[in-house]
Amino acid sequence: MKIKYLAFLTLALALLASACGKSDADLQTAVTEKLATDKVTGVTVTVKDGVATLTGEVADAAAKNKAEASAKVEGITSVDSKLTVKPPPPPSPPPVDPALKGKVEENLKKAGCTGVTIEVVAGKVVAKGKVPAAKYLECVQVIQQAGATGFDNQIEKGS
Amino acid sequence: MSIQEKYVTILELANQNGTTYELAEGEGVLHINGTAPSEEAKQQLWDEYNRIDPDYRSGDLMLNITVAGAEVGAHTYTVEAGDNLSKIGAKYGISWNAIYEANRDIISDPDMIHPGQELKIPV
Repeated sequence: MKIKYLAFLTLALALLASACGKSDADLQTAVTEKLATDKVTGVTVTVKDGVATLTGEVADAAAKNKAEASAKVEGITSVDSKLTVKPPPPPSPPPVDPALKGKVEENLKKAGCTGVTIEVVAGKVVAKGKVPAAKYLECVQVIQQAGATGFDNQIEKGS
Repeated sequence: MSIQEKYVTILELANQNGTTYELAEGEGVLHINGTAPSEEAKQQLWDEYNRIDPDYRSGDLMLNITVAGAEVGAHTYTVEAGDNLSKIGAKYGISWNAIYEANRDIISDPDMIHPGQELKIPV
C-alpha cells in the first residue's frame, strides 16, 4: 500500500512539473538563445524559479532595454536586471577656443543663421540672438555638429 | 535618471533606422556622434530629441549626426542670387524635389533659398 502511494505521488509530481512548463535549465537556454538571436552580447543569464537574472555590462542604455525585453521569453515570470551600462569615454578635448568660435561662426553664416551671436568658453558654446522659427532647428544643428563640449542654447525663436 | 536613460529612445531609434553612433559623456553632457543612412533617418533622431527636450534647451546632449554619403561623390552647388530649386535642378537634369530632399537639413522652405547656401546635389 505504502509503495503504491509513493509511486502515485512520484507520478503526480512528475506530471505537475511537466504541466508547469519548462525547467529553469531549459528556460535559461531559451533566454540565452533569444539574446544571441537578438544580437545582445555581454549578458549572462541565470534562471531560478522562472525568474531570469541578467548580469553583465552593456554598451549603452538602449542595449540594456533591449536585453531586458529580449529576456522575457515564454515561461519567464519576471526579469531581474542587474545589467550595468558601460560609462562612455569623455569627449575628445575641445579644439582651441578661437578655432572653434571661427568654425561655428562660419557654419552659422553658411546656414544663413544671421542674428545668432556666439561665445566660446572652455569649448562650450553660448549662443544668443533671435532666428526665425523655421531656421531654428538648423541653427541648433550647426552648433551641435561643430564638436563643442557643451552648448548653452539661449537662441530665441522669432516669428 | 542618467542622461543616457533620458535620451534612450534616441539611441533605440538610431538602432532601428540604421544610424551608427558612438557615445561620449563628460561634464554632464552626453555626446552622440553618429552617421545616419539618410536625411530622413537623421531627421527622425532630431524629432525625437525635440520631443524629449523641446527646443533643445537643456544643454545635456550634443547630437552630432552626419548623413552617410552626403559628402562623398555628391556635387555641391552654391546658390546665386535669382536661383530657385527648379532652376538649379534643370542644370543637373534632376527635379527640384530631389534637391530639396537632399538638403532638408538646410532648407526648411523649398521656396526660400539664399545666395551663398551650399546645396548638396544628389547623384
